[in-house]
Amino acid sequence: MSEELIPKVKQMIIDSLRIEGMSPDEIETDAPLFGEGLGLDSIDALQLVVAMEKDFGVVVPDAATGTKVFASVRSMADYIAEHKK
Amino acid sequence: MNCFMFPGQPLAHDATLPGNADFSELAALTRAHTGLDLSAFTWGAGTHSEQVALQVYGVAVSLYRHRCLRLEGMKPAVAAEHSMGVYAALAACGSICEGEALELAFRVGACMERRFRGRDYALGCLVGVTAEKLAVLAAEGAVFLANHNTSHHFLLSGGRREMEATLGRALASGAFSAKIFPCDAPLHTPLMAEAEGELAAIFSDYRYREPACPLMNHIDQEFLTSAEIPAFLMRELTETVQWDATYRALKRFGATRFVELGAGDSLKKYNRWIESRL
Repeated sequence: MSEELIPKVKQMIIDSLRIEGMSPDEIETDAPLFGEGLGLDSIDALQLVVAMEKDFGVVVPDAATGTKVFASVRSMADYIAEHKK
Repeated sequence: MNCFMFPGQPLAHDATLPGNADFSELAALTRAHTGLDLSAFTWGAGTHSEQVALQVYGVAVSLYRHRCLRLEGMKPAVAAEHSMGVYAALAACGSICEGEALELAFRVGACMERRFRGRDYALGCLVGVTAEKLAVLAAEGAVFLANHNTSHHFLLSGGRREMEATLGRALASGAFSAKIFPCDAPLHTPLMAEAEGELAAIFSDYRYREPACPLMNHIDQEFLTSAEIPAFLMRELTETVQWDATYRALKRFGATRFVELGAGDSLKKYNRWIESRL
């Protein structure tokens, strides 16, 4: 289930963060999203929280959960698969 | 309509700097006016805090980006500034020259460092609370709102101990992220009034020309005139940066393309958030 979500999560990241000139294939599934990798920060994280709720109906309730969820695209897909209604 | 946006002090410096002639010229200008060696990130004469170095570095990077865009033929129809980004913005608008912008950032930073030495202040970056909740947290914690960046992104300023307690309470009450950063002075708070005499003397040392393009101030979204600049430079250190309101005012003015000239892309990200809530 979460494998099927991976391309959708990548597209959601590109759309919600308005990343120009990048295709979903260019985002590594297991690379860290923050610091290294895509180099996202807490401003991006909140944007992703809103996008996840809008696109998948999944809520990230607090900072501690967010740290785990936004570790990588795979962890985001796993969380969505687990919590999607 | 192009809007050039000049961000405030970055939180860190990039170890890799441009190696072209324009940047070398700016690095030499920085060394001459401030004593900071940008490539080694060290002070030639005297010693100042990392915060002062970051303030000067931020201005130098903004000036460099402005030179690059000018070479590409891009000109702003309007300019905006955030916090200490005002010095580079003034240079870009022709009110002062590049060397003066670097020197102002250095003198203001060094003044704050000296004036508040020995006291422990901090900035608190808070993400994911509402303005209403933020106001309660700040009042209860005896800290001040330094930046109102968007409906859910704020910067607090005040004593370190009070800041730690406030950020802890913010996280416990549902904030998405709360981070603390060092600073030399209680920037953007009334506590800065203590240094008002020295800072006003610095600002009065320069002659400000009329901005060549409209420059919106970040407090009440008015366009600055040359006569208002010295008072605004003082005021902006004691009052909240209202970026959310500034971005909306720039849109109403007709700006359609926003270009961030500085280290990082925080203003662009704040704008993205504000846009998503319009």
